[in-house]
Amino acid sequence: MKSAQRPLELILARNLITSITTPAFLVDHRGHLVFYNEAAGALLGRPFEELGHMTPDEWLAQFGPFDERGEPIALDSLPTTHAVRDGRPMHAFFRIRTARSEQMVEASAVPIVASEEGSSGAMIFFWPRGEEGSA
Amino acid sequence: MRIKIYGARGSVPAPGPHMNRYGGNTSCIQLTLASGQRLILDAGTGIRTLGAAGEAGERIHILLTHLHLDHIQGLMFFAPCFHSEAEITIWGPSSPGASLEARIGRYISAPLSPVEVRELPCSLEFHDAPASEWELGSASVRAEAVTHRGPTLGYRITEGDLTLCYIPDHEPALGAPIEGLAPEWISGYDLARGADLLIHDCQYTDAEYPDHVGWGHSALGDALAFGHRVGARRMLLFHHDPLHSDEFLDRMGDAARARWADLGGDPGAVELAAEGAELNLAAERAAAAAS
Repeated sequence: MKSAQRPLELILARNLITSITTPAFLVDHRGHLVFYNEAAGALLGRPFEELGHMTPDEWLAQFGPFDERGEPIALDSLPTTHAVRDGRPMHAFFRIRTARSEQMVEASAVPIVASEEGSSGAMIFFWPRGEEGSA
Repeated sequence: MRIKIYGARGSVPAPGPHMNRYGGNTSCIQLTLASGQRLILDAGTGIRTLGAAGEAGERIHILLTHLHLDHIQGLMFFAPCFHSEAEITIWGPSSPGASLEARIGRYISAPLSPVEVRELPCSLEFHDAPASEWELGSASVRAEAVTHRGPTLGYRITEGDLTLCYIPDHEPALGAPIEGLAPEWISGYDLARGADLLIHDCQYTDAEYPDHVGWGHSALGDALAFGHRVGARRMLLFHHDPLHSDEFLDRMGDAARARWADLGGDPGAVELAAEGAELNLAAERAAAAAS
């Protein structure tokens, strides 16, 4: 039987971020964006239902992120990658591209690990900031 | 595939004159395969009656969904545990902190118990339920984690073309209404999809549920919505609240059938589990096909 269902820990994480007002992304074990909440939709200017699932290349092209000089940040250096690949949390500052403009944000990625087989994915929380932050 | 309910109550045993028809014993079901092999689903207090029936013979497999007391309390009173010739295998959820035997041993040990697990004379094995499907007798068994408090499994058991799904403690609507979710985001969806019989948590009425959100159990409306979404052919609503009398459960059953019909189902395909009830899925299917 072909599996139609996400791991329980991802389902619970989705339910959590659906219920909070902090903008948040949910990625799976491959780093694919599988959900973001209403608050993240407001930050980005586009609801998740409009964009749907995205591979890392697709969400990089859509949102960035960029450093303070406007240079794209490599996927390997992002909190999401650390969380999914290494099972470690990471906090960073960077710019993202929204539907309206670029926005400086502070982001924390929290790995979701439910077995010895490794990460099931990660939650990434965003806090919009003024221009004082640095990448 | 035949089943017999030995306990359908949730949380704590609820004996009493107002509980006689649905029963007061906690979760326990015997599943008898076509080969005669018996599987026991959970070891609530109902397993004491089952053990007293005294059918000896083949290895006994007990599949635990989780280790809350209403699912293991009967283990210490399961007669085969005290027979030296009995062979028992207990399957259950894994934990990063301790083995299944050690966790069950917290209950079967002082000061809660006069005996220790190691003192039981039967041949006793403990296994974490595998991540992939495995065979028990003539059945294929699959276990997956489901939404409840603490590590909790649901089971999908298939023999031939008949499938039973058992998810006695489950809150799939926690944080998100089931009706609006894609299947990939519904806890237990794969386990229950297209089951011939779904035995599912239905501890609360919809009116009671708001005071129990996050406790790990389903309201009637959510249980039915889950059964509808997974395409269950028949539902047995389970894990009755210890405060719900026979009369109260009768009314819940009436409401369940009406709401199942509203969802487009056959109202006769939904009922509340009652202690002592028996179902023969294979015979019922054969009879349905003949008619």
